[in-house]
Amino acid sequence: MAILEAHNVTKRFDQFIAVDSISFQMDSGNIYGLLGPNGAGKTTTIRMIMNILIPDSGTITLFDQPLTDTMKHQIGYLPEERGLYPKMKTLDLLIFFGEMHGLTHNSAKERALFWLERMEFSSALDKTIQEMSKGMQQKIQIISSLIHDPDLIILDEPFSGLDPVNINIIKDIILDLKKQNKTIMLSTHLMDTAEKLCDEVLLINNGKKILDGNLNEIRQSYGKNAIQLEYTGDASFLKNLDFVKHANDFGNYLEIELKENGTPNLLLKEAIKHIEINKMVAKQSSLNEIFIELVKGKDIK
Amino acid sequence: MKKIFTLIKREYKEAVFKKSFIILTLLTPLLMIALGVLPSLLIMMETEESFTIHIIDESGLVAARIAEKLDSKLKTGEPKYIVREVKANASSIRDSLTAQKKLISEDKLDALLYVPAAIADTGKIEFYSQNVANLSLNREIKDAVNNIISTYRIHQSGLDPSLIAKLTKPVQMKTIKLTKEGKETESGFLQEYFSTFVFVLILYMSLILYGTSIMRGIIQEKSNRIIEILLSTANAFQLMAGKILGLGAVGLTQYLIWASVGIVLVLFGGKVLPQTGQFLSLDPVIFIYFVVYYILGYFLFSSLYAAIGAMTNSDQEAQNLSTPVVMVLVVPIIMLGFIVKNPDSALSVFLSLFPLFSPIIMFTRINITQPGFLEILSSIVILILTNLFLIWITSKIYRVGILMYGKRPSLAQVLKWISYK
Repeated sequence: MAILEAHNVTKRFDQFIAVDSISFQMDSGNIYGLLGPNGAGKTTTIRMIMNILIPDSGTITLFDQPLTDTMKHQIGYLPEERGLYPKMKTLDLLIFFGEMHGLTHNSAKERALFWLERMEFSSALDKTIQEMSKGMQQKIQIISSLIHDPDLIILDEPFSGLDPVNINIIKDIILDLKKQNKTIMLSTHLMDTAEKLCDEVLLINNGKKILDGNLNEIRQSYGKNAIQLEYTGDASFLKNLDFVKHANDFGNYLEIELKENGTPNLLLKEAIKHIEINKMVAKQSSLNEIFIELVKGKDIK
Repeated sequence: MKKIFTLIKREYKEAVFKKSFIILTLLTPLLMIALGVLPSLLIMMETEESFTIHIIDESGLVAARIAEKLDSKLKTGEPKYIVREVKANASSIRDSLTAQKKLISEDKLDALLYVPAAIADTGKIEFYSQNVANLSLNREIKDAVNNIISTYRIHQSGLDPSLIAKLTKPVQMKTIKLTKEGKETESGFLQEYFSTFVFVLILYMSLILYGTSIMRGIIQEKSNRIIEILLSTANAFQLMAGKILGLGAVGLTQYLIWASVGIVLVLFGGKVLPQTGQFLSLDPVIFIYFVVYYILGYFLFSSLYAAIGAMTNSDQEAQNLSTPVVMVLVVPIIMLGFIVKNPDSALSVFLSLFPLFSPIIMFTRINITQPGFLEILSSIVILILTNLFLIWITSKIYRVGILMYGKRPSLAQVLKWISYK
């Protein structure tokens, strides 16, 4: 089921086109990566999903309905630029956000207490925000965007400014939400993080879509299938294999690039017959490499 | 609507429990009480001591009669002045003057009055004391001697002093205010204008005070980076409305506290202290107009301040940008003297209809003269229309501005924001 659908969405600021006719679709229960370098148009896209900015053209539908402000209750949004009221007490602040998301005072309080306990924060109920460390404040921000139990969660650079311990905590929460069949949009410029977490990705650059789709399929169709081999014997058999695109023989070390129909398994089956294998590494291109290659290609065109 | 209410609640709680609010709210009534009570207290604490005057009278005209002229009594019923004549002839006069002056410097005597022989011609007397700044005392003594000498002169010229007194009896003028409905109210200048000035000052101060705190609040939300989290729960217009209404409620709370202290003071203060509440003539109609113009003026200036807050990133930047707004608020205060003197001149009428000035100036005119109901109504209608227009514009500026960090936008850019979809 499509949770979110965008059709040819465009947003201009004066002459500058921040988002240029982007279309995509998000399905439920997935982690969806919105990827691209700084200034690619990620935050503008999210702000349009949040109905904070209104597209100049194109449409966005959420749960098959056009966006309205009341839908904000179904979305949990953690913006990149985020902060809290420094003088408010933790519990009061979370209740405030809960009420703003349409919860009653009592259920907001109940949910706030649940999350504080889960984050091992129960001692901080009466502390004001300014008394807490930066990492603790970040966690409160996450709670404030999840307090109303939204079905769609949009996290804009959730890891920025966090230490490794806190990065792990946030990562665990994201994976846990996925288990609860929540849909998560993860916007980041850190490709390797996205690569580890996301099921689907949307790559954008300069406001334009570069590609989108299932991460594994993207890897297979765009990534190089490279294999490194240390061996003893005669490697001339490689010339006869139709799934080998290119092989570089160093005598007892091989660098092999496979065609799309080639897999490491196929290569291995053949190699066992002819050579002694000492070490073999199958290496897929990283998302970052795919991205750089695609962006370069577009620039040349 | 529920969201705006939640925002108002948060804004209200935060402001009302702030130390500065509590201090200001509690101190002002204390100040009011002090202002009301102080005059009566001062009168009660007035020095109650008799005043000894020695008189050296060369002319022989004054000394014998001055005691009966200086007949003021203390609260205890004792005479206020104790007058003793010091006899001196022409040769010893210099010595006795010196001796009497020495008594004054040694605090043994309050004052010395010297009447030269030629008083009837020159009309000059001398008064010595450590303190000559007590104007009422000086006048009393001067009047007493003046009376004695005038009577003597009239006698000398062969006229009847009682006839002269009858002929020169001064005219007394009573001031009576006549309203358009032909109602007559006896009232003095101070009573007439004191409450007007108090109300106008309250209006002026609170428009600046609450406008600035709205601006500050928005800048804080921007620099705390909380604004976008808020935008994930409500739209920009709701946020702005919550802020303006929340702080407006804080302002009204403050007035309610002050007004109830004032009413208690007027109702019960009078029984304890006769002087209290004399100048606070409070017409309920005027009070209703005060509330109307306060609320309309509040919306006008708070939306201006909200737009400035959204455009800027620091208090300092905002201070610069808000100078014109403060100027707009100061103009009516500067014009106040003119308005009071010429409340029905064409300029006054124009200024009282101009929406940026009308909250203060129309309110002043309502106090002083009686502008036609049509004039009042049109000023209110113009204000409401201006408010609607301003809120429409500022909500657009606000919506874009709150997400802009970094460089302060130019006016051209801000105008472009209004056209954004």
